[in-house]
This record gives sequence, C-alpha cells and structure tokens, in this order.
Amino acid sequence: MDYMSLFASIFTLQNLTMAALGVVMGIIFGAIPGMTATMAVAVFLPLTYAYDLQTSLILLLGLYVGGISGGLVPAILINIPGTPSSITTCFDGYPMTLRGEGERALKIGVTASLLGGLFSLACLWLFTPPLAQLAIKFSAVEKFLVILFAMTIIAALSKGKMKEGIWMGLLGVLIAMMGTFDDNNKLRLVPDLFRKELIYGFSLLPVLIGLFALGQMLEEAERGMPKENVDSAMFNKDARKFSFSDFKGQTINVLRSSALGTFMGILPGVGGSAASLMAYSQTKNFSKNKDELGKGATEGLISSESANNGLTGGALIPLLSMGIPGDSTTAVLVGAFALQGMSIGPLFITKYPDLWYTILIALVLCNLLMFAVMFFPIKLIAKIVRVPKQRMYPVIILMCVVGAYAANYGVMFDVWSLVIFAVLGYLFSKLKLPATPFLIGFILGGDLEHYFVDALKGSGGDLTVFFTRGPICWVLWLMILASVAYAVIQERGSKKEAKKEAE
Amino acid sequence: MAEFFQYRYSTSHYFFPKIIITLLIVLGLIIIIPKIIKAVKSGAFSKGNRPHFFVENYDKLKLFGTLALLILYILALEWVGFLIASIIFIFLFNVLFCGTLQPKSLLISAIISVVASVGVWYIFGVVFNVTLP
Repeated sequence: MDYMSLFASIFTLQNLTMAALGVVMGIIFGAIPGMTATMAVAVFLPLTYAYDLQTSLILLLGLYVGGISGGLVPAILINIPGTPSSITTCFDGYPMTLRGEGERALKIGVTASLLGGLFSLACLWLFTPPLAQLAIKFSAVEKFLVILFAMTIIAALSKGKMKEGIWMGLLGVLIAMMGTFDDNNKLRLVPDLFRKELIYGFSLLPVLIGLFALGQMLEEAERGMPKENVDSAMFNKDARKFSFSDFKGQTINVLRSSALGTFMGILPGVGGSAASLMAYSQTKNFSKNKDELGKGATEGLISSESANNGLTGGALIPLLSMGIPGDSTTAVLVGAFALQGMSIGPLFITKYPDLWYTILIALVLCNLLMFAVMFFPIKLIAKIVRVPKQRMYPVIILMCVVGAYAANYGVMFDVWSLVIFAVLGYLFSKLKLPATPFLIGFILGGDLEHYFVDALKGSGGDLTVFFTRGPICWVLWLMILASVAYAVIQERGSKKEAKKEAE
Repeated sequence: MAEFFQYRYSTSHYFFPKIIITLLIVLGLIIIIPKIIKAVKSGAFSKGNRPHFFVENYDKLKLFGTLALLILYILALEWVGFLIASIIFIFLFNVLFCGTLQPKSLLISAIISVVASVGVWYIFGVVFNVTLP
C-alpha cells in the first residue's frame, strides 16, 4: 500500500475541518450534562450521507473522542458528570474546584485523557489484526459462541442486574427478528396492521437515535430541564497552578488505568462508567495515601480520565475484528458503516486496509486536537457548561428526524419508529432496565440466529455440534462459563453487601 | 416439547424466535416473581406506599408536551412539508422547554427555529441532496 497517498488523502482541508468540527461538537455534547457522546454521534450521522466513509469516520471518531473527554468539564466544575463515564472524575475533581484549583484539575484531566486515548490506540493497533486473523477461521459454531459470550459478558458486568441485562439482550434479539426471515422468505412476529412497513423489520438508525438521543431527552423533560449553576470561585488566581510535574510518579497509575479502561472497552456492552469505576477502585487499592482519594487527589482524577478515554480504542477492537460493538457509541458507528452499504467483520482490515489506517490516524489526530482544543482555551471550555439545554434540544429533535427519515432514503415509518423507540428508551430507564444490552442484542440478533441455524444445518440438526468442534470452541465455552460464574459470585457479593447495609 | 422445537424448513422462521421467547418468559418470571413476593411482604401494594414511576414533582407539561409535539410534528411533516413544519414546531419546542412567554425569549425561539430549520433544509436538502420529509 502507498502510505504517502494515503496520508495525502487523509490530511485534506475537508477532513481536517471535519475532525475539528467533530472534536469541538463532541466536547460540547460531552460537557452539557444530559447529553452524551452516543447522542453526539447519533445526531451527526445524517451529515455523513453526503460524504464518503473516510470523511465520515473522521467526523464520527472526532465526536466520539471529544464527547468522552468533554464529560470531565461539568464533573470537575459542578460535580455533575457530563457523560456517564466521568462519574469518578467528580470524586476528586470537584473537591479540587472547591479549593480553587478548577483550572489545574481541568488541565490534569485533559492531559490524562490524552494519555489514556493514545494508550488505547496502541492497543487497538496491536491487537485488532491478530484477533481478526483468528476470527476469519471461525465457522458458524464459533461465531454463534462468540456472540453468546458477548451477551453473557454484558450480563456479568451489569452489577446486580445480571438477569435484567440478559433479559434485555434477548429482547433486543427478538425485536431484531421482526420482519422477513431470509431462509424461507416468510414474515414473522409482525402485527397484521404493519405488514408493509415492517417487512424488513425496524431499521437500525431510528432505533439507535430513538433509544439514545430522544429517550434521554424525554427523561430531561420529565425533570423539567433544570439550569446548572456554576460558581465563579472555581478559578482562584492564587491557587496551585498546573504543571506537567503533576504527573510525576503517576506512570504506573496512568498505565494501569488506561489498560483497565481499554480492557473494559473490549468487553461488549460495557460502558464508560464501568471502566472508570473499575480503574478508580484499583487506583484506590494500590494507592499509598488511600485517605486522600475522594478529597481532591490528582491520582484519582488521573485514573478516572485515563480510563474513560482508554475506552475509546478498546471499544473499537471487537468492532473492527469481529463486528461486535464494544459500547453504545461504537454501536452507532455500525450504523455509519451500514449507511455506506458496508458490513463490518473479521475481513474488514484485509479488505479495506486504507480505512483501517484512516481509523488509526484519525484517532491520533482527534486525540491531539481534543488536547489542543481543551487545554489552551480552558476558561472558554468551562463556559460550555452554561449553554442552555432548552435551546439545544429542539435543534437535536430536528436533526434526529432528518437522520431517521433519510436513513432509507425517505421512509416516513422510520420517523415513527424513532418515536416508538424514544418512548421505549425512556421506559427502560424508568424501569431501571439497561438499554445497552438491548441495543447489542438488536444489532447482533440477526447474526445470532443465522449462525445458530447454519450450525445446526451443517450438523444435520445435532445440537452436540456446539461442543465438539475443537479447541477454539472449548475455549469459548470456558470463557462463557467463567463470565457466568463471575456474574453469580458478583450477584451474591452485592446481595450480602446490601444486607449488611440494611442491618 | 420436542415437537415444539423441531426444525422444519416451512416453519424455520419461527424456530429461533420460539427459543428466544421461551427464554424471555422463563427468565422474566425468574426476575419478576421474587420482586412481587418482596413487594407483597413489605406491603408495597397497600395504599400510600406505592412505588413511584415518575420522579417527585415531575414536569408533566414538559414530558407529555414533548411527546404530543413530537407526534404532531411528524404528522405536520406529511401535511405541510419539512420547512414550514420544522419552523413552526422547533419554535414550539423552544417555547415549551423554556417555559416562559417573555417577548425576549419568544424572539430568541423564533430566531433559533428559523435559522436551524432553514440551515438544515439548505445544507441537507440543497447542498447534500438528502431526501427530506
């Protein structure tokens, strides 16, 4: 492959503009509580109809990196996480702001984000090709088991919500099966009233946008969209200034937290909040001054931010090697590939090396841009927290409707599905049912059925084929059993804890 | 039972859904039964102690208003077309979310709705040639 021409095709004015636009818009979405990175990517999807996949990916990755990073701003300044993944940033960031060290906290957070992002990028670069090589050899049996593993791991990590997680995943699979079955061309699970509209089932994009953008908005509407108050005391001139020596002695912390973040990103359906919580608790375990954590220790802040940016590269690994999205935002990226008529799977890297390198270079670029945009004009960035949501949401509705309608070149039913899934997304969160497993189930449901039926056809209907197909198969079963065992132990542990607290 | 799950070509479209539905029902019961037992024991179904679905003092106007406007907006898209429907409804959403009828706020709402609608219509519909409702 010709690297020079690839570089030249990436570093065009258009692409650089898109990267900058993506990063800045991502940061804004991330920094406004109630709007998330997933929402940013979903809302901007329609803009990608007009561009080729390369430019689209650069824009969307910019939104992803910016969105995850932007969450630290309100977490540090007003103690409200801008995205779920910055929950742990509040623990130490806000106490620092109270001491007048808001600016220092923000700068430490941004630097840690950059380090985490670059670490996970290196993992993405190293681990994806061998995983894809392995995945190419998979037959229907292994592919089925991989998806099964993905679904059990979702459950294992949704603390205390194991059964609900599996149930939502299965529900997603069921909804995905509405429509025509390819094998015998028969319609199923569709009410007679919607025979025509649902002949191919629900389309991915309205489901995504509805669940993750409009559903969230309904929740905010219920709460009356309160205004967030920002203290002006956060920037005290006499307070300690940021310097890169704040990172002295934090190398191991950064590496451990980024690695944990990346690892949690690889596991499908595990969001950023789980990643940063895990990294934070490990940092606490290993810390020399445990009591300082939670009272404004830079250590905790660094851990949280490097972990949640570690997620970005991690979540792309299973997507680009096996076609399984690592979190809800990468699930939206599946939508972007689908829009361009591309399916993503083990063959992606071999078939489209240009796009693979575009993704890597775009991630480096977006991480650096994110740093530049957030580090230097940090006081300007702090003002984003005050952008009124009331004025942003109507425009988001507009973008969502356009996105849903244009997904299949103008189907009004898709806009109605948008509303249906917005209400569902709202209900899920009201009933405390996790929506991400549902989405992963919905995306992978078709494949799950396909591989299951294919495997059975190959064996003549013999179910034992799922156990007898060789070592890869056994390893996968071991992993499935391990994750189920982990889930059961976790569930027992959390029950005991709850009992203790009750007493 | 074995008959129910048999794989046949003619009914193969219901083969996998049957398995999933069975799992959903079984697991659903496993989730819900302990909760009901617990709720009955702790007297959650007695009056005045019911679990709350909405947050306390939830904003009825905004929640149901948003839903109603959303549905009307989509209907309007089919009746009067994208541009006019969007200008009207983005304005209404703005007014609903801000919750005031002050002239200054209304003016900002109007500006946002016109700029956003025309902007999206121009960028997507004209420049990018994306099909709009």
